[in-house]
Amino acid sequence: MNRSSTGLMFILPAIAVLLMLIAYPIVYTVYLSLIDAHGALTGKNYANVLKPYVTRQAFGNLLYYVGGSIVFQVLFGTLAAILLNQKFWGRSAVRSITLIPWVVPGIVAATTWAWMFHTEFGIINYMLTGAHIIPGPVGWLTNKDTVMPVLIAINVWKLFPFVAIMVLAGLQAIPADLYEAAKVDGANFWEEVWYITLPLVRPVLVAVTLLLLIWGLNAITLIYAITQGGPANLSLITPIQIYQLAFTSFQFNEAAALSVLFFIVAAIVVAVYVKVIPSNTAVAR
Amino acid sequence: MKLKALAGGLAVSTLILLPSLAVAGDVVWWTPNWSQARAQKLADDFHKANPDINIKLQITTSNGLPQQVMTALQSGSGPDIIEVQHGWVQGYAQNDLVQPLDDTIQEKDDYNKAVIAEDTYDGKLYAIPYRIECTALLYNLDDYTKAGLDPANPPQTWDDWVAASKKMTAGGVYGMAITGGGEFGNTITRALPLIWMNGGDIISADGKTATINKPEAVAAIKFYTDFYAQKLSPDSTLQNDGVANRQLFIAGKVASYLTGQYDIAPIAQAAPTLKVGAFMTPHPAGKTTAGILNGWSYVIPKDAQNPTDAKKFLQFLNTSDNMGYFTDTFPARVSSLKLPRFQDPLLKPFAGMLPFGRPTPNTPHWVQISQAMFNGIQRILSGQQDPQAAMDQANDEIQALLDS
Amino acid sequence: MSEDARLAGEGGVGSRVTIAISAIVLVLVCLFPFAWMALSSIKKLPELFTVPPHWLPNEPTLGNYWTVLFNSNIPRYFLNSCIISGGATLVALVLAVFASYGFARFNFRGKAWLQTFVLVGQLLPTAAIIVPLFITLRWLHLINTYWGLILIYTIITLPLSVWMLTSYFRGIPYELEEAATIDGASRLGILFRITLPLAMPGVVAVVVYSFVTCWNEFVFALVFAQDQSVKTLPIGLAEFSTEFNTDWGGVMAASMVMTVPVALLFLVFQRLFVGGLTAGATKG
Repeated sequence: MNRSSTGLMFILPAIAVLLMLIAYPIVYTVYLSLIDAHGALTGKNYANVLKPYVTRQAFGNLLYYVGGSIVFQVLFGTLAAILLNQKFWGRSAVRSITLIPWVVPGIVAATTWAWMFHTEFGIINYMLTGAHIIPGPVGWLTNKDTVMPVLIAINVWKLFPFVAIMVLAGLQAIPADLYEAAKVDGANFWEEVWYITLPLVRPVLVAVTLLLLIWGLNAITLIYAITQGGPANLSLITPIQIYQLAFTSFQFNEAAALSVLFFIVAAIVVAVYVKVIPSNTAVAR
Repeated sequence: MKLKALAGGLAVSTLILLPSLAVAGDVVWWTPNWSQARAQKLADDFHKANPDINIKLQITTSNGLPQQVMTALQSGSGPDIIEVQHGWVQGYAQNDLVQPLDDTIQEKDDYNKAVIAEDTYDGKLYAIPYRIECTALLYNLDDYTKAGLDPANPPQTWDDWVAASKKMTAGGVYGMAITGGGEFGNTITRALPLIWMNGGDIISADGKTATINKPEAVAAIKFYTDFYAQKLSPDSTLQNDGVANRQLFIAGKVASYLTGQYDIAPIAQAAPTLKVGAFMTPHPAGKTTAGILNGWSYVIPKDAQNPTDAKKFLQFLNTSDNMGYFTDTFPARVSSLKLPRFQDPLLKPFAGMLPFGRPTPNTPHWVQISQAMFNGIQRILSGQQDPQAAMDQANDEIQALLDS
Repeated sequence: MSEDARLAGEGGVGSRVTIAISAIVLVLVCLFPFAWMALSSIKKLPELFTVPPHWLPNEPTLGNYWTVLFNSNIPRYFLNSCIISGGATLVALVLAVFASYGFARFNFRGKAWLQTFVLVGQLLPTAAIIVPLFITLRWLHLINTYWGLILIYTIITLPLSVWMLTSYFRGIPYELEEAATIDGASRLGILFRITLPLAMPGVVAVVVYSFVTCWNEFVFALVFAQDQSVKTLPIGLAEFSTEFNTDWGGVMAASMVMTVPVALLFLVFQRLFVGGLTAGATKG
């Protein structure tokens, strides 16, 4: 039917580019995961990565890190977007400033935060002890109870601007007369947000959350630069484990096996997400 | 091998059709940015003597280097010469990514034996070392003398070492900082030799059994972590690597710490009035000291475009004088050590450690094994386990790796 | 009544104060570490690692900026980054606009699968795909070229751009396009004359996302750009570190050079972030 083929034609260029450059890596990785160092077929790599406790620990940490990050990134990002949508003097400048945490190079942000959270050099301990908010310096990045929350906080700082900008763009599409009508009905600001704003930016929020999920599953810069996954694997996440297997431990076959497993799990999560979240599209007739 | 065929098949078919990118007579050399100027000079000198060979420098950075090198080697299209750390050579050799260089090295007996052993796999030499360094104790001269210690009589034994550190811990200054964070190599370099000094080892000589929970090893690990337990090392130890300790040293918070001579220049630059001294790493009474020789070697990738000229260049680079000129710390050749630049009295303790350097065990899982040891040390420092329990767990993990 | 007037007339002082306080909090949170970086960039080496730390330099210096601008590779890398990030953003944008429109407005067999496929490439860990991608690029003779990195960055940013733009297109009421169809306009015409202008904030958002992602990407740049002529800014940052030592003043100054232009660029794009264009468009 005409409709179907037109749609396909629109998406074809993008699909072709992606196919060309993704198909080979997938095949390569799967192949690598099924052979050993001498090229013989084996399932040993999968056994070797699944057995040690560290694999489960890293995956658990990953879920905690990504889950915790996403909740707050979306929350603060959306609040920021709503704020930035209001008219006030200096709004353009504030919008640009909001962008800064996201734009700052990851490795520099990571090392700056690590520096600021340092038990001895860190400005944070200095300010908190100076203001008598805490009795003594805290080992933010070395204490098992604080290391993950601190890393999550840094991750939220880094990425909430992304959410803010994306949601802000979505907010622009909401017609002002909808707010007018609500005003007439006597709604206050927060009711407007709940009943008008949020439902209308839902597609954007859904997309953004998915993106954060995918990003989070692969992002190693922040944690790697700050704690290298330590202390004692407390902040180790699966992508870092894969990186270490591939590039520092010379276990490329095991790294490939872990990559395949990780890919399958991530693909399932994404597929479920895509199917479960209904898309209310007006379709071309 | 099949892997190479699959990967190479795609590339080779095109390479046959298209002209190769490197001209015969070009040698591509990946060299790090900190020695760029010296590398350029050596390349120019070589070119003058061999006008038909062009040395092309491509500068690498420390950040991301393992990934960069690994990708180039695995994809079969790397440069002709790469500078890598000794510790990586085993991995490359075991995976057939670099060429044997037995035919290239000259005057092999002049080289430090331990580092040659590090670069040897299965009886063949896979890299030519040019730079070695060992850690020793660096101390703040003012703190040292104020504590009543005599620079001419540094601590020799572990007991003396602890006593000296305790004396230097006063007035908000920590006497002896250990590393407990950062890249695990920092801590392995400092802690593993202590195990060796005490008569233990991380794995058995035949590479089949993990021995890190034996009494000698555990006692050494406990000695190391006790510096933190007894508050001779800063509160931030779990997040400090060698560089952080240097910064604390510069800031006057730490009186001494284990490090290599590469810290002397940055300290002088950041704190010109700070006077330093050094002494060799103390050993248990009645035993000898030990160290790990870190540093850099040259490798030639298996699929290098121009290995013949590259080997010629390597021989030029590794003459006693050139090696002595190029190295940042110490040369791998004993004869080079006689050059004037290595005669600084401050360098004497560091040079004195070189003969006591030992190679790290020659096993395919070395990186993961050392990671297990490091995790164990971190568990002790964070109070999660006592030394014996931590080393028992590390032992199990290491044994599992050796058995796999 | 325009949105401005509505806001001006509502709430009064209470909401103004809330907005002002919230805006200040937002600015402080965003700028706190950035201020530390900026101040570090004008400090001399001995002042960078003091215990206890102090905010303001006792002897401020522009020496770090001098080093960055005149004594390093940063200027050349800045140019390379502009070309590569700009090029990849443009290519990804073009591909994404078409693909997103297809996903947003059409139903066809296997659509859900294709949508999932678009995302699939993003799920492969970098460590897994870097060697095969290197082999592919070398086969195409694109190592050490601008196009090589542009291609790689296009693949990295394309999937998420498609997804985001799809949701923005969905936010445009279809009735607007329907009206044009009835008037006889072609699909492409509708896309370019109606949908795209209305989705401009979304397009800007996607451009920002693509550009920022490419601008800061390190690993692929490191591996695919071995020659100085194509290296990018993140590699330039890494060059301030030697084996055991980092020129922190230089790194911070270089970070400023990397960050501030992008924020300023976004300031310029603000006028495209205009809303309310669809207001009243479908009223009978």
